Amino acid sequence: MEVALLFLMIVGLLLIGVPIAIALGLSSIVFQLLFSETSLASIAQSLYQAMAGHPSLLAIPFFILASSFMSTGGVAQRIIRFAIACVGHFKGGLAIAGVLACMMFAALSGSSPATVVAIGSIVIAAMRQVGYTRDFAAGVICNAGTLGILIPPSIVMVVYASATDVSVGRMFLAGVIPGILAGVMLMITIYVMARIKDMPAGDWLGWGEIWASFRDAFWGLFLIAIIMGGIYGHPWVDFSGGFPITWAPGAFTPTEAAAVAAVYAFLVATFVYRDMGPLAAREPGGRPTPLYRAPWALVTGFVHRDTRKTLFEGGKLTIVLMFIIANALILKHVLTDEQIPQHIANAMLGAGLGPITFLIVVNVILLIGGQFMEPSGLLVIVAPLVFPIAIQLGIDPIHLGIIMVVNMEIGMITPPVGLNLFVTSGVAGMSVMGVVRAALPFLAVLGVFLIIVTYVPWISTALPNATMGPEIIVN
Amino acid sequence: MNAVHTKPGRGRLARIVEEFEEGIIAFLLGAMTLLTCTNVIMRYGFNSSIIWSLETVLVLFAWLVLFGIAYGFKITAHLGVDAVINLLPPRGRRVVALIACAASLAYGILLLKGAWDYWAPFADLPKTTGTWLPTGFDTQARTTSYFETDQIPMFDWLRFLEGWINYDERYSKMPRVIPYLILPISAVLILFRLIQATIRVWKGESDSLIVSHEAEEAVADAAHLNRELS
Amino acid sequence: DPMGCDAGETVVKFSHVTNTDKHPKGIAAELLKTRVNEEMDGTMCMEVFPNSTLYTDEQVIEAMLRGDVQMAAPSLSLFESITKAYRLFDLPFLFDDIDHVDAFQASEEGQKMLDGMQRRGIQGLAYWHNGMKQMSANKPLIEPTDAAGLKFRVQPSDVLVAQMEALDASPQPMAFAEVYGALQTGVVDGQENTWSNIYGQKFFEVQDGITETNHGVIDYMVIASVDFLDSLDPAVRDQLVTIVEEVSTERNAAVNKVDAEARQAILDAGSEIRELTEEQRAAWVETMKPVWAQFEEEVGAEMIEAAQNANK
Ligand code: NA
Ligand code: NA
Repeated sequence: MEVALLFLMIVGLLLIGVPIAIALGLSSIVFQLLFSETSLASIAQSLYQAMAGHPSLLAIPFFILASSFMSTGGVAQRIIRFAIACVGHFKGGLAIAGVLACMMFAALSGSSPATVVAIGSIVIAAMRQVGYTRDFAAGVICNAGTLGILIPPSIVMVVYASATDVSVGRMFLAGVIPGILAGVMLMITIYVMARIKDMPAGDWLGWGEIWASFRDAFWGLFLIAIIMGGIYGHPWVDFSGGFPITWAPGAFTPTEAAAVAAVYAFLVATFVYRDMGPLAAREPGGRPTPLYRAPWALVTGFVHRDTRKTLFEGGKLTIVLMFIIANALILKHVLTDEQIPQHIANAMLGAGLGPITFLIVVNVILLIGGQFMEPSGLLVIVAPLVFPIAIQLGIDPIHLGIIMVVNMEIGMITPPVGLNLFVTSGVAGMSVMGVVRAALPFLAVLGVFLIIVTYVPWISTALPNATMGPEIIVN
Repeated sequence: MNAVHTKPGRGRLARIVEEFEEGIIAFLLGAMTLLTCTNVIMRYGFNSSIIWSLETVLVLFAWLVLFGIAYGFKITAHLGVDAVINLLPPRGRRVVALIACAASLAYGILLLKGAWDYWAPFADLPKTTGTWLPTGFDTQARTTSYFETDQIPMFDWLRFLEGWINYDERYSKMPRVIPYLILPISAVLILFRLIQATIRVWKGESDSLIVSHEAEEAVADAAHLNRELS
Repeated sequence: DPMGCDAGETVVKFSHVTNTDKHPKGIAAELLKTRVNEEMDGTMCMEVFPNSTLYTDEQVIEAMLRGDVQMAAPSLSLFESITKAYRLFDLPFLFDDIDHVDAFQASEEGQKMLDGMQRRGIQGLAYWHNGMKQMSANKPLIEPTDAAGLKFRVQPSDVLVAQMEALDASPQPMAFAEVYGALQTGVVDGQENTWSNIYGQKFFEVQDGITETNHGVIDYMVIASVDFLDSLDPAVRDQLVTIVEEVSTERNAAVNKVDAEARQAILDAGSEIRELTEEQRAAWVETMKPVWAQFEEEVGAEMIEAAQNANK
């Protein structure tokens, strides 16, 4: 009963325009002070420990920062050129290339809105120039952008792993096959629509352009290899004896991978592509300065105005996101303090819930919750509630995680709170409701995809189980 | 839509404050990233480590977010749901926005009491009495000023704290009072920015506490481009 | 109300970080809960929060001093951030086996250490065993020189850092949740832990066998705040303390069995366990024992001596 009041208060506060973080935090505080003996100081402790006590959440600021450097630093633009060279000549080629570019950028970036901004801000304009409707262009990018959290690395997976103590590395691997599958499903849908509606096809630019564009995008795409190879290990040449190709161990944890990605993206943007920082061209269309002409850039690059601005933008986004997550953690703490998760688990298990019904219930809760909440915050609250039940029902925690991520993807493109909707409306210059309508046909694809992912656990668990062995349940 | 960063009339001080806030945010994130990378290089390249790096990065993370929350209110960057309030007529919207401000101020006040009560014992200061609002100071409460962090080294220039709050006992690691200091600072700043935001809504200079979406500035140029095409 | 506490009962929140049915600490906490709720029904009601759901060990002492939880059982090394005396338990090769740890804890000096934080408002009620630490890496560890140059994840404790440096190994800071993955992919090479933890975290799966070094101990201290204990009616307090002591005696006596089961389970899973000869162990002792001197001033020479005497 008290819990119902708590959730009513949260929804009420949200609807009158209280910031999400405060709606969660204030409701938790009021609930705690009314119904338990726990002190206000514990709220402050939870708020501080939301950051200082969660080492795995550190990946969030680092991946956000890496995305910021890649968007400002010209990586996205080069990836798009490469994608167009590969698939631009099919019917609906530019749209398909947009999806492919989103998939590639998703493999560098941990966030969906960042993927929409990076790819959408270039591709939507380009699509309109060759004759696609604005609605179609916005719908494609809005949906494909959600792959940002399904294809690793992913901030939402980091949050899930942190909330449930499963391995981040395992979650990242689990996202690979579903991410590619979802991308391919979107591309096939576009191709079919393009055949029916006779959409434009680009020219085949030849293998030369594929090679040239790949070489140009290489330094950006190489980050995928750095992240995956750095975490899981990579082939290495070793002439010290025996067969020269050996397997080198991993160099960093998933969290550290995010920090390395940020520094790498900064180095590529500032010293290789030179689209930002001290070596960037002075006027649009000009040539960047070569490093040997200005070697001091190796020092000034770190404190250059562009670097500081990108750091600040990344920091701002981190703050907005973590303020919500931190208050969601406060809510989680208050719920735990009152032993609510146990009550709910007992009630659900007592009702004789089977795995199938349970997964449907989880999907419904997340789809409804996703209409009001920012994905990471929602995950922080829901994951600890449903995780113990899932374990009892014998559901693979990694599979559950992927289901949750796909739900979050859908939540991002459905009103009233859908980060991708907002960002796409900004990028495409159209109303949010316009984007909602435009995204609808592709939303159906994601819906089908959710059903497939829910009922075919193999898609999620095959790759992590094959490379890391079966998941171990510690608790 | 982003609320007033710097009003023309307020001039230099406002600009200095803004530079300072943005500089701190950029510095903290940059320091976190570099320290983490340095530890990777130490481990992978030199088979060594900075043993205090992880704990320090986590403290910087907490400082980044807690310091930045107030700035987020200043520039109206925090997320919320505006679908329902957008349906209201202007008058109703203003009333609802003021209710939302009142709720947010309540959060700020409760958070300030919580932050003080949490931090004060680490600084050998009295926490407040009372459940909801402070009713006085609890001078009998135990000090926890002796509590140290796990690995963060103690700075010699902070040794005066041993005499001030630790009854002349030596700190061998950074005492927790230092990292936790951000909590009361953050709470005061949040309350201050919330009061300012409420005044803006009251005066009609702004219509809510929330921005409906993020990445606004990043998409502005692209939106401009697309509008020109239509 | 079968789940919650009845009105009028004193609620005791006990927060810890392990599971409830496989880990020595979790099992002991469950037994304590059962006995308190049965034998003190109507006066006291214990709620146990496992798996770090409420607080981690780092946070729980602060929460206890505030009165937001009443009892906890943090690892002894966590008390180092309050009083350096507890570093004693981290010193390598100070105790031969868990029975000797037990003997020291039962001695006058060991019992005094339960009261060592009274002036800070913390009362130790009992020690709970986890077990002796073993060492493992991605290559066989037979001689101490085998560990040289390897990267070991350690808990953030000065003694453990010094111990790894004595081996010429590189101590690495790392969040506990990331250790399994880091061992698997080779980001770090090795770790040290008790049989229960190595089995519970499945570290043996991603290591080249475990070397039975018994080089250190991981134990817990059951603590309550002085203010909470003072607030209780003396008879109620005595009953609670008695139950804690009885549960501790019962579970500590069983810890060798739990340990042996975990050890056997690791063997059954096909992992190799390497026992050291007298000579080999002596080499490890010789390499790591100099660490004592570094911390002698903080923990007290007489305490080291008392601990050694308990070994006889
Ligand atoms: Na991604
Ligand atoms: Na939504």
